[in-house]
Amino acid sequence: MNLFEIIYTGSNQALAAAEGLLKQAIDQKGKAHKVAFPETAYSLPVIYAATGLKMNSLGDLEGAIGVVKSLITEEPRLEPALNAGLATAVSAEIIEAIKYALNDTPYEAPCAGHISDATIRSLGVPLVTGDIPGVAVVLGECPDSETAAKVIKDYQSKGLLTFLVGKVIDQAIEANVKMGLELRVIPLGYDVTSVIHVVSVAIRASLIFGGVEPGKLAEHMEYTKNRVPAFVNAFGPLSELVVSAGAGAIALGFPVITDQDVLEVPTLLLTQKDYDKVTATSLEARGIKIKVTEIPIPVSFAAAFEGERVRKDD
Amino acid sequence: MSDTKMVSLDAMDEQLIQKAKQEGVETMWDRKVTMKAPCGFGEKGVCCRICAMGPCRVSPVEGKGAQRGICGATADTIVARNFARMIAAGTAAHSDHAREIAHVMHLASKDGNYTIKDEKKLLRLAEEWEVKTEGKDIYDIAHEVAEIALNEFGKPFGTLRFLERAPEPRKKIWEKLKIKPRAIDREIATIMHSTHMGCTSDAESLIHMGMRTALADGWGGSMIGTEFSDILFGTPVPRETEANLGVLEEKQINILLHGHEPSLSEMIVMASQDPELVKLAHEVGAEGINLAGMCCTGNEVTMRHGVKIAGNFYQQELAVLTGVVEAVIVDVQCIFPSLTPITDCYHTKFITTSPKAKITGATHIEFNEEKALESAKGIVREAIENFKNRKQDKIFIPKTKAQATVGYSVEAVIKQLDRVVNSQIDPLGTVKPLADVIKAGVLRGAAGIVGCNNPKTQHDYGHIEVMKKLIANDVIVVTTGCAAQAAAKAGLTSKDAAKLAGKGLQAVCELVDIPPVLHMGSCVDISRIITLVSETAKFMGVDNCDLPVVGVAPEWMSEKAVAIGNYVMASGIDVFLGVLPPVTGSPEVVDLLTNRVEEMTGAKFFMDEDSLKLADMMLVRIEEKRKNLEKLGLATMNTAQEDDASTTALSEIV
Ligand code: SF4
Ligand code: SF4
Repeated sequence: MNLFEIIYTGSNQALAAAEGLLKQAIDQKGKAHKVAFPETAYSLPVIYAATGLKMNSLGDLEGAIGVVKSLITEEPRLEPALNAGLATAVSAEIIEAIKYALNDTPYEAPCAGHISDATIRSLGVPLVTGDIPGVAVVLGECPDSETAAKVIKDYQSKGLLTFLVGKVIDQAIEANVKMGLELRVIPLGYDVTSVIHVVSVAIRASLIFGGVEPGKLAEHMEYTKNRVPAFVNAFGPLSELVVSAGAGAIALGFPVITDQDVLEVPTLLLTQKDYDKVTATSLEARGIKIKVTEIPIPVSFAAAFEGERVRKDD
Repeated sequence: MSDTKMVSLDAMDEQLIQKAKQEGVETMWDRKVTMKAPCGFGEKGVCCRICAMGPCRVSPVEGKGAQRGICGATADTIVARNFARMIAAGTAAHSDHAREIAHVMHLASKDGNYTIKDEKKLLRLAEEWEVKTEGKDIYDIAHEVAEIALNEFGKPFGTLRFLERAPEPRKKIWEKLKIKPRAIDREIATIMHSTHMGCTSDAESLIHMGMRTALADGWGGSMIGTEFSDILFGTPVPRETEANLGVLEEKQINILLHGHEPSLSEMIVMASQDPELVKLAHEVGAEGINLAGMCCTGNEVTMRHGVKIAGNFYQQELAVLTGVVEAVIVDVQCIFPSLTPITDCYHTKFITTSPKAKITGATHIEFNEEKALESAKGIVREAIENFKNRKQDKIFIPKTKAQATVGYSVEAVIKQLDRVVNSQIDPLGTVKPLADVIKAGVLRGAAGIVGCNNPKTQHDYGHIEVMKKLIANDVIVVTTGCAAQAAAKAGLTSKDAAKLAGKGLQAVCELVDIPPVLHMGSCVDISRIITLVSETAKFMGVDNCDLPVVGVAPEWMSEKAVAIGNYVMASGIDVFLGVLPPVTGSPEVVDLLTNRVEEMTGAKFFMDEDSLKLADMMLVRIEEKRKNLEKLGLATMNTAQEDDASTTALSEIV
């Protein structure tokens, strides 16, 4: 398949999953059943930013499905392909919202799932000052745990905020990577759709710090592109769904760097097979310059460790 | 379409045409009307006058009327012969231009008027041609390289050197078709021979010969012209300029540079900066010297010096009508002889400079290459001294002009592409970024839009409409010649024009920092386009004909355009013509050009007088080529099976 066909396939898969799941949920709980993410004033942030509409019930989500459908027009052009990527993001948010609607604790440690407004507000200042120079989204599965740990720790040592999605979480745990908000490594979830919780962070940055009005999608995309220094590392075999989610990232201005053979798009979708170079490649692609020079001490030293408590047995 | 509507896309051209009417000055448009309907025999190519038994005209309809000329030549033969001769003439024009430049390089010296500006390019060429460079003076190298080039025109054995630059599969095709040009002049002579009475009388054979001769232009004459001009005058880099007749200045000495060969125009540029002449300009009451280019010489000097573009082919008469042009300085090619009567109506001096193109009634000041600068100064002085003769009541400068960014040589394009290279992944200096965006489909393809103006079409309409349609559909456009000037006037070569492009091309323009329409130079600089396409094909390991690339001449008119169209086609790139060539009298020739040549070269001609239809046909063809790329596995990628979200079930959640 060509790149756009893959994206459309993935977007349609995400749509079908969201649609199917919503139908099941409505069958079980009825349209009036409440939908909300915890601790946020922005309802379902991606949908809210894109449409200006707050989703309160499963019934409302049916409307959101309409939004997804309208975003998927399968023409062989970049613009519809990026829109289809956004559609995948919305589908993912619908799926994740249903998880929260039907289950009080859909995510358990180590996975964070949805990130609260309070957390985002606390990240605002270090992001603006460059204390957090970038946001890395590491997704999929590395060839082994050591590689995963190397990449993640590299970001950690440079002060980046790293979100993990998929099997890489287990790999990080296996390799003893220390995680937590204060350590700037946050495992989100195992499903690809959980990546929406980091998209949600970027979008809420636009709503909260950018003051961009809900419903002005183009302006939100402008904001994330210019102000949220995020990028994606997609490791391991790429499914159509992941590629289509990647298109969503690109639409928001976040380059995708993968270890797989893909149809590269300069500065936006890149292949880097040398894991030692993944960090440098990603930082260059997103134009991130690290402010502080690294200090050659034996332990990783960076702001990410400021909040670390040295436990007794360490 | 009303008569005036047909004239021009540009409202101010209309104003000048009105002015011409009021002042009783005849323009090309008046002559077009006087001409009435063109002769159907000539229009269809079935008129032959190559021997004194003729002229013969045969019927374009099979089985009706005269079917053969007196010698027995059929419509197919007559059409193909006429067509082949057009190619020969076009090739001759480009090649004589190139020969001149090669001579100039042979003349270049350290302290002379002509020097070597791009040593690196010269050294690259020397290496390509196996000229020893170590420990040698750069001028000795230049002279040796120039001599080799001059031999390309008439060498007794072998084939042209630049053919080696083509992708491997292309070379094999040429080999198989036996159309590798040998020496440039030889191919032209062979056409003249074979089209003589009683020689070749087989349409297919003539089309073959035409391709070979045309290749001697594209990969011979034109390529030498471009390469050597870059070496002598500098390889173009992006720069800003302005275009359209609004660049003429009321308070300055306006010199219109028109023609083709940069050896003259480069010297005029130098002369116009000469302090003594600038002082003289002030003395005669002008604020300065304003050079403005027209047609390909205009393109050469705008690419290298940012000299403003007055206009394209169709505007050469209109420029004089403004009443503020002190001199039209011309050399060769595409110069209307009507500039004599038109300039007679104003104070404008019409100065011819080349013994190859004298024009009755013009002031002939022969340009002496041995004393180039001095010679050029003399010509500029003529213009300055003419300032006082302006007829104040006849002055009218239209205000319109547009900003343009020009100077996109292949080298400049690659340098821009370097901006998007991730230094952790790829080396600099390759066409990979271009190949990547084409493979990914971010750019659907690329189109070279070239060629002239033709009063058969609304001025610039075809150029502009085709360009707009293509860029809106994420097809990047490269352009040369009068098409490029049309684009510049319409603002399409400004970076701002990215907003007219589709999202894919827009993204590329922003990232690479280029306009959506790239001005690549003059007509000989179409060799830059085939170089860029070939480099991309080689990088991807395919042939030119595998790429989603098209060539377009919406408003072509000259025999040079016919030669260009044929070498582009023979190089594996489809050619779209907005003006029908005189071949419709032979179904055989039409079938060959629009159908059968594809089996031979992988490309063919498409013809339609409706530019918008033509653009649609290009988009279809581009998508066809993309499918082909996918079949070759070049524009596709593999994916893995997803095992979670698409199958997420409610049971897993609750
Ligand atoms: S070559 Fe034949 S067709 Fe042509 S003018 Fe002579 S006799 Fe007529
Ligand atoms: S494009 Fe055509 S009209 Fe213009 S300079 Fe070239 S050959 Fe002449």
